[in-house]
Amino acid sequence: MQNRIEATLQILKEKKEKAFITYMTAGLPDMEGCKALIRAQEEAGTDLLELGIPFSDPVADGPVIQSASYKSIQQGTSLNKVFRLMKEIRQEGVQVPIIFMMYYNTVFHHGVEKFVEDCAECGVDGLIIPDLPLEEQNEIRKALAQEGENAPLLIQLVSPVSAGRIPKILDGARGFVYCVSGMGVTGQSGNFHREIISYLSDVKAQSKIPVMMGFGIRNAHDVAPMKDIIDGAIVGSHFINLMEENHYAPEAAKAYCQRFKSELNAL
Amino acid sequence: MNKNDRRYYGNFGGQYVSESLMQALEELEAAFEGAMQDASFLEECSYYLKQYVGRETPLYYAQHLSEAYGAKIYLKREDLNHTGAHKINNVIGQILLAKRMGKKKVIAETGAGQHGVATATGAALFGMECTVYMGAEDMERQKLNVLRMELLGAKVEKVTSGSNTLKDATNEAIRTWAKTAEDTFYVIGSALGPYPYPKMVKEFQSIISKEAKRQLMEAEGRLPDVVMACVGGGSNSIGMFAEFIEEPSVKLIGVEAAGLGIETGKHASAMALGQVGILHGMKSYLLQDEEGNVQLAHSISAGLDYPGVGPEHAYLRDTGRVEYVSIMDVEAMDALQELCRLEGIIPAIESSHALAYAKKQAQKMGKDEIMVICLSGRGDKDVHTVAAYLEGKGYRN
Repeated sequence: MQNRIEATLQILKEKKEKAFITYMTAGLPDMEGCKALIRAQEEAGTDLLELGIPFSDPVADGPVIQSASYKSIQQGTSLNKVFRLMKEIRQEGVQVPIIFMMYYNTVFHHGVEKFVEDCAECGVDGLIIPDLPLEEQNEIRKALAQEGENAPLLIQLVSPVSAGRIPKILDGARGFVYCVSGMGVTGQSGNFHREIISYLSDVKAQSKIPVMMGFGIRNAHDVAPMKDIIDGAIVGSHFINLMEENHYAPEAAKAYCQRFKSELNAL
Repeated sequence: MNKNDRRYYGNFGGQYVSESLMQALEELEAAFEGAMQDASFLEECSYYLKQYVGRETPLYYAQHLSEAYGAKIYLKREDLNHTGAHKINNVIGQILLAKRMGKKKVIAETGAGQHGVATATGAALFGMECTVYMGAEDMERQKLNVLRMELLGAKVEKVTSGSNTLKDATNEAIRTWAKTAEDTFYVIGSALGPYPYPKMVKEFQSIISKEAKRQLMEAEGRLPDVVMACVGGGSNSIGMFAEFIEEPSVKLIGVEAAGLGIETGKHASAMALGQVGILHGMKSYLLQDEEGNVQLAHSISAGLDYPGVGPEHAYLRDTGRVEYVSIMDVEAMDALQELCRLEGIIPAIESSHALAYAKKQAQKMGKDEIMVICLSGRGDKDVHTVAAYLEGKGYRN
């Protein structure tokens, strides 16, 4: 079976549409509520979903995701419970590609090979591990290669200062490349890097796969200046804030995602 | 598996940081390696260590302690350094490096406040803007050091995420560095973090054992039998061990904090349970729960209250070159008082962990056998904790 991320991005390319991607912390407001939010977003047309596995020390995250992670851990969210959730929603027919965003200790503690096997078995399509730069990926790449075609894709991140590192990061990268919009952590609204346009253009020129931008995006208009460069936008902290304000009501998620998606493609 | 990778000590170490920081680490490594080959940089370091910090520090033969414990005990007096602990050795090196790299701003994390004070001191000396990240809980425990940092012109940023202690202050410093690496130097205080920090901190702290080895040779004409130091993240200990690692006749002992006892779960002995994990940019021994979330450390000493340990220590443990043991709060507090009365020296609670184990170790030694202990810091900062402890009120943690 073709990887769901690649299949979805292929269709978007044919339709000449940009991808809309959200991030939410797994286990909030609780496991059932989290499933309802996933279903609502699939119905709303969100193209890819990032599911954050909460970790005690999320150093790549700003205050919003930090506090969401903390809350989720307090409620007892664990990696095994999220695997179970994945299995259940796939059995219920949810098809939207899902990417785990997590820290490497959670993978390492679970056992790298076992983790990859569990991802393949539960229908996890991709992995974003912000504290695992290219130089530290050997261990997990080996496990992913061993698992074969059902293994999730390891999504590569680039930053505004990656510069000379970009070619080696892109070499063999699959799915899409995740461009962080600024230096630092998630959720610094509106503070894109001063060289954002030339940096994104650089990545786009070198990349064979779609280029997505994330960190600090709130609405479709935030990415208007780079609409001709990027292939999609990722919203995390703002989406979590919105969920908090609306008590995690699936209708609110649905309305926001529908609007973002249509505005993004009307830019 | 990582044997040929310079960034690793056996299976430990590495660079587990976000992509935004990889470039900064590369630049740092190049600058550090260049500086270590540059005679003028090394001269500048020695100048400030001598004229400003007050090195060399004495290797003091503790006669009364030796008589009481039953072995020949020498204390390496890092407590006599400017700012009161070994932390300044590393800060002078890193700040001179920051200056060399053209950085005007420095940031640091601190637990007990000693590294924060040392960094604030160095920043004042070289006219740099300094921000220190400190857990809200530690700011309460170490009020005096907060005042000292502010007096020195540093901004102390209160960290209220997670457990409000050193671990969280370090998270916040890493986040800030990721945002500001283009113009800011991150001064890490312990022998940990992503490569090249563990190597750099060891290099700058190894002056402790370079001096001690020579001083003991002058006093006794031979190498010590035992060298001992306390281990939190592991900076004073790696500095104390450095020159002796290649001397197989010298037994090296690192003393972690057992808090209320390993079996109670309230301790800071990262190596006692032998679980490996990834935190703060490195793979090393790490206290964690069944989900791989980092567990809170506990020690009466704020400077040892850290759930991980530097990667070279993890390697030295696995190869058996260093023996790592642990000492409980109560044992450390007894040793602290004993040194006060026997030698007229008030040691830091951190260093008192090494003193407490020295008492046990001496029983296995002949009275002419020599033990060198790193007295990493003075105890002035701890008097409130000691007072609360002695009044039987327990202590905040």
